[in-house]
Amino acid sequence: MKTFKRLLKRKIALFSFAIILFIVASAIFAPLLAPYDPNEQFQQGLTLQGSPIAPNSEFILGTDLLGRDLLSRLMYGARTSLFIGLLANGFAVLLGTFIGVVAGFVRGRIGSAIMRFTDLMMAFPALLLAITLAAIFSPSLFIVALVIAMVNWVQIARVIYTQTISISEKEFIEASRSLGATNTRILRRHVLPHLAPFVMVWATLGISTTVLLEATLSFLGIGVRPPTPSWGNIIFENQTYFSTAPWLVFIPGVAIILLALAFNFLGDALRDELDPTQRGRQ
Amino acid sequence: MLERMNNQPLLSVSGLAKEFVIKGNKQKIKAVDGVSFALNAGETLGVVGESGSGKSTLGRLVLRLLEPTAGEITFDGEKVSELKPKELRAARRQMQMIFQDPFASLDPRMTIEALIREPLDIHKIGTDSERAEMVKNIIGHVGLTQDALARYPHEFSGGQRQRISIARAIITRPKLIVADEPVSALDVSIQSQILNLMLDLRKEMNLTYIFISHDLSVIQHIADKVAVMYLGKIVEFASVEDIFANPQHPYTKALISAVPQINPADRTNRVVLSGDIPSPAAQPSGCHFHPRCPIAVEQCSEVEPQLRSITTADHLVSCHLATGVR
Repeated sequence: MKTFKRLLKRKIALFSFAIILFIVASAIFAPLLAPYDPNEQFQQGLTLQGSPIAPNSEFILGTDLLGRDLLSRLMYGARTSLFIGLLANGFAVLLGTFIGVVAGFVRGRIGSAIMRFTDLMMAFPALLLAITLAAIFSPSLFIVALVIAMVNWVQIARVIYTQTISISEKEFIEASRSLGATNTRILRRHVLPHLAPFVMVWATLGISTTVLLEATLSFLGIGVRPPTPSWGNIIFENQTYFSTAPWLVFIPGVAIILLALAFNFLGDALRDELDPTQRGRQ
Repeated sequence: MLERMNNQPLLSVSGLAKEFVIKGNKQKIKAVDGVSFALNAGETLGVVGESGSGKSTLGRLVLRLLEPTAGEITFDGEKVSELKPKELRAARRQMQMIFQDPFASLDPRMTIEALIREPLDIHKIGTDSERAEMVKNIIGHVGLTQDALARYPHEFSGGQRQRISIARAIITRPKLIVADEPVSALDVSIQSQILNLMLDLRKEMNLTYIFISHDLSVIQHIADKVAVMYLGKIVEFASVEDIFANPQHPYTKALISAVPQINPADRTNRVVLSGDIPSPAAQPSGCHFHPRCPIAVEQCSEVEPQLRSITTADHLVSCHLATGVR
């Protein structure tokens, strides 16, 4: 709590936190706040030629290619994107960190075996792997999150593995061992706190890549099923109208970037706040 | 005191050896090669030698921070070399280490309080409030103030950090402390402060030190006995007085002649050794020192000298040509 209070003294962290809160709130309260049903196709939502309508007083952010209200779709889409972003990335970070730490701390043959398996997973083209996995399991929001996690944990495992090794070689680890500390204690008290900043970076950085990967999967028809909106599939559905109705790509794009940046800045600030040598410096 | 009554040394080491295998070409490096010595409670053993002589490895072997390839370590009546991991962890309460680099050996993410308290937490000594009390007591003991406790290592100077390391090492009231070049990372002005602190603590707590250093003047200040190491072996072992007054091994003589003297009248002829310490992977035949020895004869390159006592029973030297005469 103390860390959190200090964190919010940083302007950029406060600002990022506000943006995240805003997006989360609009996702949670979408049924109350959204002006329309996100899936309703309005007759007046398309021009006579059948193209989307630009933002106006009736449709604040305009309509999409099927005459649906973009603002409502964005708010409901935030639910899917946040859900997948947090869940998939959470899974990936947990799995990657666990595997990286185990391999890096145990070392030896077991460690090598784990890392060769990780390399094997890395050698697969991410998209191909995702498509295969998505084809095996019947698609649902949860499965999509799982598939994304299965693709993303590998890089995290690699980074955490090398970091774990470099931390384990530090003299204060040997010092702790010379005091009689058990491996569990060394891991918990000395290794994990030093890994925290790296985990933090991935936990925040990963959210943006996850949202984008979800968008790609949705585009290929193996992600979130239409008509359920997600920020990714809003962009992909409407990309053919990019030249005539750029807001349809631009606005959800900005939403993704804003969310990703907010998480990144918040993560950076949190990492600095957790490091005693950096604390309080801006 | 019990050890002395039984005439048992606190620490005795025999035939201690450590081989490192270089992966790839399967080369073996003898970092420590058959080292034996005994140390009584309250004594300080100074270990000197150049870098690569195996002195740091020896210190880590004694504490079993490295697993010896051969040899026996007996500490306080217990065979340390045969302890199981769990027993070894418990035994560490009695034998602590002070590291060379006070910037690397303290976890930068822990407060001073947490760092000094860690040994108590590990060995479950005292209740929560007793531990806090002990930490407060010890911090004054090593010459720091209470307000240091809530701060982090990066806020302190090298000397202060080494004081923190010392506090961490003595808080469990150990019997043996291995200090691996504890002052060589510090300014000369700070070195003597830390050495004096260690001397005070030795008297107060009846500590036994193994003091590893490449600096003979530091050793002269603190040690009772001196072991001179060259390529993983002890080449001369004697009381600090004998080593400085009557060095027998040409290597010891060379080291002593390199110690700067303030008074020009005290300056002796400098024995300058040529070349570097050979790689332990390719040890010279016979006496390991013969390629650099100023007085080597033919025998030296063929027969390896053994440690033998000379003049007194406690003065050991491994040199064919040592006579005991100054």
